[in-house]
Amino acid sequence: MFDGLILFGNSIASFATPTTIFYALVASLIGLIIGALPGLTATMGVALMTTLTLTLPPNQALLILICTYVGAIYGGSRSAILLNIPGTPASAASCLDGYALARQGLAGRAMGIATSGSILGTWIGMVALALFTPILGEAALKFGAYEFFWLALFGVVISGNLTGNDPLKGWLAGFAGLFVACIGQEGLYAYDRFTFGIHDLSGGISLIPALVGAFGFAEVLTVIKDRPPKVIINTFDTVIPRIRDVTQYWRTIIRSGLIGTGIGIVPGVGEDVAAWSSYAAARRASKEKEKFGKGSVEGLMAAETGDNACVPGAVIPVLTLAVPGSAPAAVLLAAMLIHGVQPGPLIMVQNPQFVYDVVAMMLFASIGILIYGLTLTKLLVKILQVPQTLVMPVIFVLCTVGSFAIASRVFDILVMLVFGVVGFFLRRLNYPMAPLVLGIVLGDLLDKNLRRGLVLSDGDLTPFFIRPISFVLFALVAGTILLNVPAVHHAAAIGWARLTRMFTRGKPVA
Amino acid sequence: MNDDNPKPFADFVSGIVWLLLAIGVVAMSLRMDRLEHLQVSVYSAPGLLTGLLGIGVAIMGAILILRSVRAGALQHIEFPRFNFREQWRLLTGGALCLIFAGWVVGSGVPFWLAAALFIAVFVFVFQFEDRRNNGTLPRGALIAAIYGLICGAAIQYVFQELFLVRLP
Repeated sequence: MFDGLILFGNSIASFATPTTIFYALVASLIGLIIGALPGLTATMGVALMTTLTLTLPPNQALLILICTYVGAIYGGSRSAILLNIPGTPASAASCLDGYALARQGLAGRAMGIATSGSILGTWIGMVALALFTPILGEAALKFGAYEFFWLALFGVVISGNLTGNDPLKGWLAGFAGLFVACIGQEGLYAYDRFTFGIHDLSGGISLIPALVGAFGFAEVLTVIKDRPPKVIINTFDTVIPRIRDVTQYWRTIIRSGLIGTGIGIVPGVGEDVAAWSSYAAARRASKEKEKFGKGSVEGLMAAETGDNACVPGAVIPVLTLAVPGSAPAAVLLAAMLIHGVQPGPLIMVQNPQFVYDVVAMMLFASIGILIYGLTLTKLLVKILQVPQTLVMPVIFVLCTVGSFAIASRVFDILVMLVFGVVGFFLRRLNYPMAPLVLGIVLGDLLDKNLRRGLVLSDGDLTPFFIRPISFVLFALVAGTILLNVPAVHHAAAIGWARLTRMFTRGKPVA
Repeated sequence: MNDDNPKPFADFVSGIVWLLLAIGVVAMSLRMDRLEHLQVSVYSAPGLLTGLLGIGVAIMGAILILRSVRAGALQHIEFPRFNFREQWRLLTGGALCLIFAGWVVGSGVPFWLAAALFIAVFVFVFQFEDRRNNGTLPRGALIAAIYGLICGAAIQYVFQELFLVRLP
């Protein structure tokens, strides 16, 4: 406990330099603007910033990326409140009550609620990050090939199940990502798979160009496809958060923070699910259910706390298992590897200081959004009024630079273009992108551990099912898939209803 | 095709694409070298996971096809109609992006100039209708050109000079 506090203190001290603080503030602002502009997502922002920070020292580069990430998730609330358009998918839940408040002339108060919810959510997640990373890291040391195999599969299955509205398409996207990860030289014998004699494909499909294509170029195409609506912004009152809004809804804040962090830890699910889950839980527990969707302070607070708490939550599995909790966290993972930081089960043994460095980065990011949340409202309103025809070509140029700069390979620009076009059509057909990204990240883990596991057991499949952690992960994968079969879902619902009725006084079991 | 609710026929077509892709992957995985000449265990054959993934995608593709057929995919077959007036924004924007990326890749034009030209043309094309209606076409062209030059120079400066990142 005290060791952790000392390490955290060291981290704060090492970051408290003018240069680092400047980087944190600039990155938070860039993140906020990216998040606020509809069509630009946190994933794309973090991916583009990864390129920009290639030559910086690892800690400064990762600080910039984390500040961008936190800033973007927070920034999404601005357009949700002012325009009824979520700046990022994570802010979709904030539209319901945020825009309703704005229509009542309370846009400033709504922005204040979003600011306080986001900061408190980040802090709850930050505490969880500091507390649970060592515990999860220790548990992860028990993971072998069998457990990592199921973990990778679980990530893709749960991400496919929760991130879209059609699990089948989510799983297809996830499996496509796993397949993409298999292109190029495989990790055990350096054998070329699906390269068709193309030399550039031997190196595989890099994550950053693929992400920039799927989230950047595809988004540019989506945005320019339709004529943008005229931006009408409601007038707003003071944006300074009210203490009463926080004290009155402290239970909602803590609940949403914990839900958001928990969802962040689940591989590949991400901030939008965290926001919706926190919102739904707040509505269930609320005494003012009828206000939800009509300008509920509690609803907006829950959504904003949930999505921002998800950010540190999503970093926990990155650090302990090298498995991302969300799409932007997948970019963070890639950035850590680019900068020579090796996350995974050994992180608490080899580099515990880094874990607390990340906690400190979250703190700096939350301070950044607090400063901008209180001061930059008018500037952001002006930015929101910038026509998308001016923003999109610049974004595409950045996508081109971002894809090229990681490895100085022209081939990566082609990868970006292909993923952009394919991503655009997949989105149009309602395929979610997050499982695709997670598949690309986890493909190598799945491949190596399936084959290692089979070699270790000499082809015997039982260790995949009888080891305790393997069994739990297998049960989660099987349960997630089976619950989407209508007959199984129906039977499970009846069984659950009977079970809960057994514990309900006065109601006999049917 | 619609973002929220694609038509069953679109799902039917995408299901067929997935199925064909999966069959191709499985076939290629089966034909892949098992490296037995290197005394490699058959359980670590390079095509093992890809083959299993192919089978998984084939099953899901088949389910998607069946589901779309049950939803009436074959009763109301609607091929997407191409209408340039409706799609001009997407086609023009996409073409400009592809030309820019292709041009940068294939030519020796300085990056800042290529970026400036691309941004200026993009802005001018997408503001053309409004500018023409308002009678401000020359002003629009000038603003687009200045905006393009500023952005091109700024991107070059920030990436190449400030952060020492190599540009295409």
